[in-house]
Parts: sequence; structure tokens; C-alpha cells
Amino acid sequence: MSSRKTQRTVIIGVARSDAHAVANHLIAMRLREAGFCVVNLGVCTPLEDFADALVAHPDAEAVLIGSLNGHAYEDLRDLPALRAAGRLHCPLIVGGNLSVGSHKDGDERERLLSLGVDHILDEADQIPLLLDLLHAARATPLTGV
Amino acid sequence: MSDLPELDVEPRVAAMLPPWTETMQYIRKSPKRAPVEVLRAAAARGRPVVQPRCGVGGHDEMRTLLTTLERRARPGILTITIDSFTRLKQFRTAAQTLQREPADLNGYPLVTHGWRRGRELNESVDAPIEVRHGSPDPRELFAVSLASGFTSFEGGGIDYNLPYSKDVSLTRSLAAWAQVDRLCGLLAEEGVIVDRELFGTLTAVLVPPSVSLAVCVLEARAASLAGVRCLSIAYPQGGEVHQDIAALRSIPVLARRYLPENVEIFPVLHEFMGVFPADPDVADALILYGGLTARLGGAAKVINKTNQEARGIPDAQANVAGIRTAALACTDLLDFVRVDEATVEEETYWLQREVAELVEPVLAAPDLAAAIVDAFADGRLDIPFSASVHARSEVIPKRDATGAIRYLNPGRLPFSRPTLRRNEQCLRVDRASLSRRLIDEIRSDINFFLHAERRFQADRATVECPGPANTGPGAAASSGGVR
Repeated sequence: MSSRKTQRTVIIGVARSDAHAVANHLIAMRLREAGFCVVNLGVCTPLEDFADALVAHPDAEAVLIGSLNGHAYEDLRDLPALRAAGRLHCPLIVGGNLSVGSHKDGDERERLLSLGVDHILDEADQIPLLLDLLHAARATPLTGV
Repeated sequence: MSDLPELDVEPRVAAMLPPWTETMQYIRKSPKRAPVEVLRAAAARGRPVVQPRCGVGGHDEMRTLLTTLERRARPGILTITIDSFTRLKQFRTAAQTLQREPADLNGYPLVTHGWRRGRELNESVDAPIEVRHGSPDPRELFAVSLASGFTSFEGGGIDYNLPYSKDVSLTRSLAAWAQVDRLCGLLAEEGVIVDRELFGTLTAVLVPPSVSLAVCVLEARAASLAGVRCLSIAYPQGGEVHQDIAALRSIPVLARRYLPENVEIFPVLHEFMGVFPADPDVADALILYGGLTARLGGAAKVINKTNQEARGIPDAQANVAGIRTAALACTDLLDFVRVDEATVEEETYWLQREVAELVEPVLAAPDLAAAIVDAFADGRLDIPFSASVHARSEVIPKRDATGAIRYLNPGRLPFSRPTLRRNEQCLRVDRASLSRRLIDEIRSDINFFLHAERRFQADRATVECPGPANTGPGAAASSGGVR
């Protein structure tokens, strides 16, 4: 197991074209309360800024991007290029309201995953659990079950 | 070049303005009632005037919207809501969008249309017009507004920065607004009173009343020191009537305590700014409730909502209905309504105490603007859910069992022990279990009026589907779900 003494760090923020601040603040509070060091980049954050933050905090376990305005795909379009350039190599979790309109057909998730998004969450309350799972997997690499 | 006193305006915009003396002459010669006169009359009668929000991109469409609202609903004051490109000084993008597709603008690009069209709008209606926007730096917009003859202008260096911009320093926004306020001061010396409205609504979601009032008191002090003589102080309806009335009635009291005597103050209520019910009947009830709260709180003005709020920007029809519903609550029809004055009094005491604890250390500093900037940097002033990185947003608001908004976590706000204890007592929360459900709980507080809507719909379903199989609460809920 990893040391319990070092504080776990996550980077969070809201996608580039999105100014929804409320859920972002609540998630930051929830994670801080759970003992995380939260680097909150806030609303309207370009993907490039998430990559820069990861350089500044290389120990971050994950990058969490919220998107509530339906423009998640547009806002994350540069992800393959960034990854190809060797940037943003850590689990990328996206959540929120992922496409325009009230009808969700699941297509939006496939499109985001095809960009290289690692995990998509429907509920913010699932975040600590997912982070714990990722953390455990990293501490004890899966070698085939 | 512009010869506007006090105001530094981009040369491109300045070059299009009329001479200053001409603007002054136009405002003086206007036969219309000034906004300050409408507010004075409303305050004297004890009945708030109603003001809608409205703004569309095209000029003809804007004129039609204003004249339609005036003809069919007679609001006391009208509005031009400005598009977001103009708010951020992206005048070129505003112009391009206007040329390509005016309907893509979420408001009227006044700087792009220019002061001549502004005057045309001004002259097309009897009611005075206020410019509402959300600019951290409104200098060009203010110059064109004045040249258009609009003498009511919303915003301030804190309240139009933190909720609207990600990274504009408070030093910069306060300095830009100070120029606006100094020009208002010069105008006041010449006998032209500009109504400057402060946007205490802030991020509009669960704003603790003392945060709203403290921000406005500080902005009002800065504005009055710059020479402003008429201030409207807007407070957002939180939804618990005693708390809302206490906040509105505290505005003149706080003004007497912290502002010079020669400033006129008008309390304003923004009808509920949070998540609005989609059911038109419930939305109408909430609009009526807002109007009633405004009157009971002694507001001079109420900004109405519409029953299309849940769906986005309303059409003219819905806005007409919203204005009329809010106005109905301000007639004598509901004069019999009384609230529990002892509860209001208790709220008032604690609210004013909280405001004092927030503003007095800042007001004691020699340089007010610098003290505001420092206090926000340290978290001694703070707003919840800030869009800007220049507020820490460590404050967590929470509704108590009555629906009143309290501090679950006051962050670094410099509250006294009794103040903290009062908040604790009102909330009476089990923090251990709350911490696991925090996001859900606060989301539920934000959706306060959706719960009322759900109960109403469940009741209606029971009434509409009577019969032996449909009488229990479970049956009501399930038929409510089908609707």
C-alpha cells in the first residue's frame, strides 16, 4: 500500500466554454473534506491549462473536468493532440451534462471516450470512490486476475 | 476624441460620441421622467414599481420589444439588457454577430448600435430605461448609455466582476467603476442625477443575505465617496419571507449607518434568481410571491421573472404576463397579508450584526479599494460559488429547516462567536452524515422551489384522478410521475 502520510492531489476544473461554477465549488469542497489536496482551476479552463497544472503538480492522481453546457466534445477536442505531444498523461475523468439537449443516446459518451477520456461519471458523489479505485489499482498494479 | 470628463474610453468608441455639452443638453431637455423620480414616487407610495429584464440583438426588434412591454404591461422602468460580447468589450465580435445574425446575440449591443439608436429607443417609450449588463469594465458602455440619455446604470466593481469574469483583478474593476461613479458625481453637481444600481444578487445561488448586503454597502460607500447621489441596492429573493423582508428593510438602516446623508437609497428586490419551476402555474405563484415580498420589505422596485424562466430567455408575451403578475402583488389586493414581525425583528438583528462584522474592518482602512482587494484575497470578504479566482469561495451556504439561508461554513469571514453560534443553532446539522451528502444537500437547497412544484403537482394529480385506486399518497406520486 502507498504511504498514508503523503497527501493525495487531484486537479479539477470546468471545461473551456463553460462558466458553471456551483458544482465545481461543491466538488472541490467535498474532495478537500475527504482529505485531498485540490488544485481547482475553476470555470472556463482550456485543456492546455489542465496540462500545465499537471506539469506543476506531477503527483496528481487524476484530472477531473466538469462540463454542464453541452459542449464537452468541442472543449476536449485537443486531447488527442496533447496526449500525442506527451502531455496530460494521467487519468482524465469527465462528468456533468455532456451534450446539448435533453435527449441522451449514449453517443456522446462514445465520442468522449474516443478522444481519450478515461472515465465518465454521471454523479459527482461517485468521484471519491473512483479516485480510490484508481489509487488502489496504481498501488497494486493489476497483473491479471 | 471624446471630451467626457473623468472617463477614459477607447479612442474608437470615443470618436463616435457626441460632444459632452450636447449630451448634457439632451439629458436636461428630455421631457421624460428620470429614473430617480420614478423611484422616489414608488418609495413615497410604499408600492414598488416593476421592471422587466429585456434585451435582443436587432435594433427594430429591441424597439418592438420595449414598446410592446410598455403598451401591454406598463412597467415603471424598462430595461436594455446588453449582450455578453459588449459586456466584455468585444465590440468587433458584437458587430460581426449583429451583421450576420442578430438573433445570436443574448442582448442589445448598445455600443455597436451607437447613441443615435439609443436615443431612438429612449424616445420610443414613456418609461425611463436602465442599462443592465455584467461588465467588469463598463466605461465605453456607460459613455454610450449617457449619450443615449439613459440615466440608470447597473453594476459595481465587485458585483459585476466576481460573478461574471474568471480572472479580472478587483483592483482593475474597482478602478474602472470608480471612473463611472466620479462622472456621476460631476453630473450630480450639474443637477443630473444618475441612478446607480448595485447588483447584490451576485452569483444568484444561495447567497447569504449578509454577503449580499456587505458587498453593496462597500460598493455604495465607494460610489458615494466618488460623488454618486442616487443608489439602488438590489437584493436577491432567497425564498424565506422573514429573512427576505429583514434584508430589504435593513438597506435604508445600513445606508444611514455607513453612507453620507446626501445619498438617496432605494431598496430593490430581484425575484428569485435560482432554479425556477418549469410548471407555469407554480412559476406564476412564485412571481406573485416575489412581488409581495418586495412590497412587504419596502422595496422601491422589483425585477420580475417570467413563467418561461426555466426554459431560457422569455418571449414578450411571457414577460408581459410576468410584469403584470408581479405588479398585482404590489396593488392593495394583498394589503391584508401580515408576517410574523417578531421573527423579522430577530432576523434583522442578526443580519445587521453580520454585515457590521463584515464591513466595519474594511471601512476602517484608509484606502477603501485597497482594503476591499486585500479582504477578498484573505477571505475576510468572500462570496459562495464565485466564477472569479479573485474570491476564495470558502463560504458554504445552507438552508435551515425554515428555508432561510445560513452559513454552514463561514470560511474565513471574521464573524464573532455569537454570530457563529446563531448560525449553528439555526442549522442544527449532523455534520458527520452531512459531509457524505454535502453535494446532494446543497443541490436540494438550490432546487428549493422545485420541491414546492413537485408537491403541487402531486396534489393536482390526486385531485384530477380521484377514485378508490388513486387516493393514497403513493398513488398520487405515481400518477404525478406519469404527467
